[in-house]
Amino acid sequence: MNTNRRTLLTGAAALLAAPGLARAQARRLDILSHRVHQAVLTQGAAGDLTEPWRRSNGAELAWTTADIGPMQDRLLREASLPQTDFGVGYLLNSRATPQVGALLEPLDGLLQSDPIARYDDIAPGLRQAMQVGGRTIAIPVRHATNGLFYNAALLEERGITAPPASFEEFLDQCRRVSGRRGEGPPVVGLVMTAALASYPVIFARAFAGDFITEDFRLLPNRDAMVSGIAAIRGLFEANALPRTYATITNEDQVTWLLQGRAAFAILPFARHAQLNRPDQSRFAGRINAIEVPVSTTAPAGTRMATAVEFWSLSLPRNARDKALGWSFIREMSSPEVTLGSARNGNGPVRVSTYAEPAFAASTPLAAVEAAALSRARIPFPAFPEASRAEAIFVEEVQSAVLGRKTPAQAVADTASRVQPLLPT
Amino acid sequence: MRRNAIWAGKLLAVAAILVWSLAPIALILSSSFKPERDIFAFPPRFSFVPTLDHYAALWARWPDFFVALGNSFIVTVLATLIAVAASLCAGYAYSRFRNTWLEASAFGLIVVRLIPPIVCTLPLFPAANALGLQDTHLWLAVLYATFFVSLGTFVMRSFIDQIPRELDEAAAIDGAGRFATLFRIIAPVAAQGMLAVAVFVIVFAWNEFLFAFIFTSTRAKTAPLVLAEIVGNFDGVEWGVLFAAATVQLAPVLIFVWVMQKYLVAGLTAGATKG
Repeated sequence: MNTNRRTLLTGAAALLAAPGLARAQARRLDILSHRVHQAVLTQGAAGDLTEPWRRSNGAELAWTTADIGPMQDRLLREASLPQTDFGVGYLLNSRATPQVGALLEPLDGLLQSDPIARYDDIAPGLRQAMQVGGRTIAIPVRHATNGLFYNAALLEERGITAPPASFEEFLDQCRRVSGRRGEGPPVVGLVMTAALASYPVIFARAFAGDFITEDFRLLPNRDAMVSGIAAIRGLFEANALPRTYATITNEDQVTWLLQGRAAFAILPFARHAQLNRPDQSRFAGRINAIEVPVSTTAPAGTRMATAVEFWSLSLPRNARDKALGWSFIREMSSPEVTLGSARNGNGPVRVSTYAEPAFAASTPLAAVEAAALSRARIPFPAFPEASRAEAIFVEEVQSAVLGRKTPAQAVADTASRVQPLLPT
Repeated sequence: MRRNAIWAGKLLAVAAILVWSLAPIALILSSSFKPERDIFAFPPRFSFVPTLDHYAALWARWPDFFVALGNSFIVTVLATLIAVAASLCAGYAYSRFRNTWLEASAFGLIVVRLIPPIVCTLPLFPAANALGLQDTHLWLAVLYATFFVSLGTFVMRSFIDQIPRELDEAAAIDGAGRFATLFRIIAPVAAQGMLAVAVFVIVFAWNEFLFAFIFTSTRAKTAPLVLAEIVGNFDGVEWGVLFAAATVQLAPVLIFVWVMQKYLVAGLTAGATKG
């Protein structure tokens, strides 16, 4: 065969044209999600919950799954195009800024004309957080609410027969269980990552404090935040936190609890099943959870508002087939599918789901989780500079815990550095 | 005595390099056969009853990993073909011709290497979308090849520089045109250089994440993306499955590099002794 320039150019053109010719499209809904989102709607005890919707709409689902950060970046990039194939995208609460809201279809009109069944049943804190710029930009469908996990076996070894009833008791138990344990590995009272703001926020809330409120007030109770950070520092100084505190990751917390290297960890309630699986845990059946208790020094009537993160279903403003997308969102956030996906392992956002006898019977922590969810709040609201604000806060907390500055100084520095970043 | 000390020092250095290089691979491999509870046991457990459970779980719960491996294979082969062909042609041109345009384009090739890939993704994303090339093997292969053509070109140029010009002249006397000379005379002689370029492209394309993440969704999704999903499972990372997947992903490229190591070295040293 003679190879010449014309042959090469023709071949290259054919190669470039091939994929375009191959894109014959059937009716389908493209969904951008995490794999867990797909799994809880399609696999598990309740089976494939999307099947009735697919049948009645004559449409197929095409799931594009990715890790959290990349998936959120992709959603925003797709929503920035003139038009996108993605009809539905999962949105994390911390990404719900006004800038992102502008890329998503406002759902208020659709909620009026084609409403979601018993929409008010969805936890109010979650619904409110999806009101951005006065518009509903997404529908909450999955939450991860934090509880205080404890290893009952390790507590019993130190003569502790009941989990803590107050925050002070919790700190005391952390100190008491820390140290060497016979032939086993050394134990720390609490394993906690230093990389996330939500943990010091929970500590501050135990003293009736907060980092940034939903109406963007920074450090509304500075003394409470100082107390919270001082409590973490106290644990570190007492060797009740790992010496590697600053480098502990989110996953390390689970691993340490599974291996019996830590007695307490603050984790989403949904981790309960994994932490008690015999093939993974050295203490299967002995790891339980309670609500994080509040301090005895907090004002009377203070209840813990633990940190909750949640996912919502959104409709990109530039989606090709918005009617199909909304139909899917409406169906997947219905009470029936919420219950079914909860049976498949999802964190149900409807408070009523926890009262369902079938679900409550199969979920040991249902009552505790429902109580925690009813008061839970996001760690801090979404705003354009939220990532920088979180990084500053985390840095200041670490400095205080590691002894480089006092908790009071860390709180003062957080205030001065974060204030300019807040929306005006 | 002094000689023994130097010898011992060299041995220690080699041992340290070996541990540094092989320990992560050993960790991945051994963890893929460990029971889940033992993977992060403290203190670490070096003796254990090996299990294939993680591989079975990978097959059962992450079937798309193997589909993605197939995509990785297709993209890698395509990228390699494109990069090697383009590098051969460009290397030949740079070796045999001299003019201002060529020098300017050589500078352009170097500039391409200096651009951080993430910068290119921003304008390329809408472009791929408009061309209908989003989520296609071809687009990914073209991108991978593009980023390696510059390096490949200079590797090929070094190889072709070592081929006597008399061969070109003899082919011309026999009536061969430029393309015939390149593909029938030069290419067979420069095969070792083409293999060296191929090794670089294959290792890069097989492991690449950024472009694959940005430009694929389902049809052309590659294995590193699925690995990232296994790591990022917020319902709890299945470490055993992750290590099994990492082993499956790692094995072909390790074997390939082992087999092709002499070409890799040839590629790295091409033209090093040229006066």
